[in-house]
Amino acid sequence: MMRLFTGVVVSVSLFQIVDLSSAGQVIPRHPTELQYDSLDFTPPMAADHRHELSNGVVVFVVEEHELPLVNLAVTVRTGSYFDPPEKLGLASLTGSQMRAGGTTAMGAAEFDEQAAFLAAQIGSGIGPTSGTASMNCLTKDIDACLDLFFEMLRFPGFQADRLELAKSQVIQQMERRNDSTGSIERREWRRLMRGEAHFSALPRTRATIEDINRDDLVAFHREYFHPGNFIFAVSGDVQTDDILLELERRLNGWPVRERPTESVPVPQVIPMPGLYLVDKPDVNQGRVAIGHLGTMRDNPDRYKLLVMNDILGGGGFSARLLTRIRSDEGLAYSASSNFGVGVYYPGVFQAGFQSRSETVARATAIVLEEIERIRSEPVKDEELENSIASFVETFSRSFSSPGSIAGLFASDEYTGRDPAYLVSYRENIAAVTADDVLDVAQRYLDPEALAILVVGNLQSILAGDPEHPEFSLEALSPGEVVRIPLPNPLTMEYPER
Amino acid sequence: MRNCICALAVVLAAPSVEAQEVPVEEVTLANGMTVLLLPRPGDPNVAAGWIAKVGSVYERPGITGVAHLFEHMMFKGTSTIGTRNIEQDLQLIAELDQVKGQIGVEEGALLESYRLGQIDDPSDPALRSPRHQELIDQFDALLEEQSQLIIKEDFSRLYSGQGASGMNAMTSYDFTLYFVNVPANKLELWFWMESDRLLNPVFREFYSEREVVHEERRLRTDSTPTGKFQEQFDALFWQSSPYSWPVVGWPSDLEGITREEALEFFELYYAPNNLTAALVGDFDPAEATELAERYFGRIASGSGLAPQPRTREVPQLSEKRMHAFAETNPQVTIRYHSVPDGHVDEPALVVMGQILNGRTGRLYRALVEDQEVATSASGGQAGFKFEGMFELNGTAKEGRTPEEVEQALYAEIERLKTELIGVRELQKVKNQNAASNFRELQANFMLMYRLLMRDAYRGWETINSDPPLYESVTAEDIKRVANTYFTPENRAVAIYYRKESDGPEDTRLAGLDQAERQQVRQMQAVMESLGREQLAEFLNQLEQNATQVPPENQDMTEVVIEMARERLASVGAESR
Repeated sequence: MMRLFTGVVVSVSLFQIVDLSSAGQVIPRHPTELQYDSLDFTPPMAADHRHELSNGVVVFVVEEHELPLVNLAVTVRTGSYFDPPEKLGLASLTGSQMRAGGTTAMGAAEFDEQAAFLAAQIGSGIGPTSGTASMNCLTKDIDACLDLFFEMLRFPGFQADRLELAKSQVIQQMERRNDSTGSIERREWRRLMRGEAHFSALPRTRATIEDINRDDLVAFHREYFHPGNFIFAVSGDVQTDDILLELERRLNGWPVRERPTESVPVPQVIPMPGLYLVDKPDVNQGRVAIGHLGTMRDNPDRYKLLVMNDILGGGGFSARLLTRIRSDEGLAYSASSNFGVGVYYPGVFQAGFQSRSETVARATAIVLEEIERIRSEPVKDEELENSIASFVETFSRSFSSPGSIAGLFASDEYTGRDPAYLVSYRENIAAVTADDVLDVAQRYLDPEALAILVVGNLQSILAGDPEHPEFSLEALSPGEVVRIPLPNPLTMEYPER
Repeated sequence: MRNCICALAVVLAAPSVEAQEVPVEEVTLANGMTVLLLPRPGDPNVAAGWIAKVGSVYERPGITGVAHLFEHMMFKGTSTIGTRNIEQDLQLIAELDQVKGQIGVEEGALLESYRLGQIDDPSDPALRSPRHQELIDQFDALLEEQSQLIIKEDFSRLYSGQGASGMNAMTSYDFTLYFVNVPANKLELWFWMESDRLLNPVFREFYSEREVVHEERRLRTDSTPTGKFQEQFDALFWQSSPYSWPVVGWPSDLEGITREEALEFFELYYAPNNLTAALVGDFDPAEATELAERYFGRIASGSGLAPQPRTREVPQLSEKRMHAFAETNPQVTIRYHSVPDGHVDEPALVVMGQILNGRTGRLYRALVEDQEVATSASGGQAGFKFEGMFELNGTAKEGRTPEEVEQALYAEIERLKTELIGVRELQKVKNQNAASNFRELQANFMLMYRLLMRDAYRGWETINSDPPLYESVTAEDIKRVANTYFTPENRAVAIYYRKESDGPEDTRLAGLDQAERQQVRQMQAVMESLGREQLAEFLNQLEQNATQVPPENQDMTEVVIEMARERLASVGAESR
């Protein structure tokens, strides 16, 4: 392993530099004339780091001894899709309160204090389709930190006053739901794309949070936190054999139960095309989201879609959307697109930007034009080459730290993805042609199906730009024009229209 | 065997934590530019960046925002990059500047009318003189001509097409930082690109980029619930210091800064002796040194040292207060003038902030858990290059006021002034610092960023020399600095209340609770968007349903019905 940071400061004098510069190398006139050595990079393979404990629990270990730090994370098969409808927010509170509520043997304040004194970063949480618990500590403190971590994982205390505090914080956060255009946009976009009945769009309300009590947390934890539901990812300053023995010992006697069989619910709606407007009178900038459903992660077209989206709006400054909306017209600071691929149900294709109220319609027209353009003419060779090169050459970035490597392996294991894709990734990207891009743009982007969501000062936005009266938002709508009122932030009831 | 940075002992009794040595190789080029090299084998990438020791505090009124606008211009290409024909391009840029200057005269006349209250909107196209419109058309025609020559985002594409990622820049009060991640075999590309834009910059697309920056201002400041208020609080807190204006600049300046002023700024502050570059990652330092000399060495030395900000903050004589009504939960911010980065009192102030912060910190324990007056609370020292401040924040729990939070924060300040911090409490913070010193070294990008930022302040070596200073802070030090800086006349306080409505509070809402008021206001907004017929239908429904409303919502329903009737009456009046 590497040995670093052990030297002293070296200061090179000017005389040495003069010598070095006499190499007689010339500077090419243009950067495209630079010659580069080839870069060989072989990605680490999951199989080389994958271990199974005697109880069948999978553990990935990536050693790295440069710094005296250890990372340990466990992915847990659970998620907020298990929330009972009258207790929305239960999974999320269970996740956060594992860490915040102490253990059955140790009060919350004492647990916090011990972790803080050890300078250990210990966390837990439950998201829509998975849960995690993690630990980062100095190597010398690993035993004490693992003690704390496993106490939390297995015997969380869910101390009642901490739960009450967390509930009041969640409710206070709810009150801010309509304050920023960003949070309004995210919420309404989810409702449009997934339908209001899908778990990912169901809002927690004051009533569902108030209905959650300590027993609910205890039961939720008991149901999902057991070794049969765990995948471990360990990285940093550990010896593989030592940590496997350690995990073996610490999971000993904790029964391995069956995994939950319920699959993640799939949205039942197809988003309706149209123009959706939310009024927020006191801001001078409108936020816009434009899109429709994307596809599944295992779709064989996904490499072509990656390249297509990169050229359209995913590639930052080089992408068409930012070039036109920002560089050409100065209409927005940021503009981008993402073609979402989903693990359990299709992702979402979403293009978006924020622009001054008056120019929202103009910038929207540009996005629609660019969607049309990438469907009607092949991308330029130069665009294609740049996009492919950027994917191929940045591939190694996914493996930039032992933590990210172990995390990637654990995540693929969790979602049942064959790690072979890592071997062929660069080849698959490099094989994409301009015809492929045109083909997937035609098949996967549908101007007729677009929903356009606009949040901002509708009066100014609909009035448009006096310099360019030819652009009107309503005229651009692919369907009905619907005004969405702001809901009560605590009950999430929308005023009747 | 482990090879670690080592020599670390975090033991309660023995304060013998040794700081790590981050072994940077420092190269000074003949033209005065500094290059920091930190090879680190691992994935085949290099985090690369350079910093200009200039930010918004080097500006003056009239050109606020120029440092940041300039940062944007640095991505617009050079005499080689971004153009199909540099001669024609430069010719057009000169013509554009000339026409823009004449437009400025016309705009000046409109601004004067606006100043005198004769017109409402100086940007209204209808108010332009024929000459004004003619100039704008001429300007647009030149832009159209220039667009044939420009290769859009060429700078960015040359990088991304070679696998460079995360290219961007940031401007702060004190520095401007340009960074990118390059694959290990493309190091020379970085030297080529960065030295070219320092050597041969061409600030094309200046006026449209000014618009982009204005959009950035709208995004970050104007359209966020508290952005405008924070800006006002900064202006209130700093009296004479240039930290009083926002990095992004005041709107009038963003509309007026000229290309010439940006160029002048470049000449002054982007000379090699004001720049430091850093590479962290998989590279050979000898090769990098040779490349640095070959590429950056071409840049001519500046004519001397860059001018430094002269205006210091004058001592504050009395407490300042601001009461804001914003779309945010009720909260308070308290700021004390303290010390700049690197001042001898700074370590004690920073450690004090750590004592206050976090889940086991004093503020959370006292305000959130024990007194239940706040839902969150934090505090800490912010040391800029020339000034500094210590800030405390707290958000009121529902049913409690920001003034109560303010008093609870003062009580904690009083404890710091009168009692010594406990031994274990202090050691906990030091243990955390020891661990975070290592954690900060994990990612190459962050390490590059920290080295450069430190170099812009007091020298990159402080990454090694600062930790012992923090380790040696004592309980007495903390008590002393608390008494030195936390005085009432040295502070400014911002109290935020939740904005209840645009106009004066409607007296009809007096009997309703907060959630009901919110609902009424939403209904009001809906009503305002309805036409006469829809409104009549809406009122009709309301009246029909009024009898079925549960008793506790009766009051609210009546208020809404009353509003709907009024609205209907006024819509009727307008339509006549």
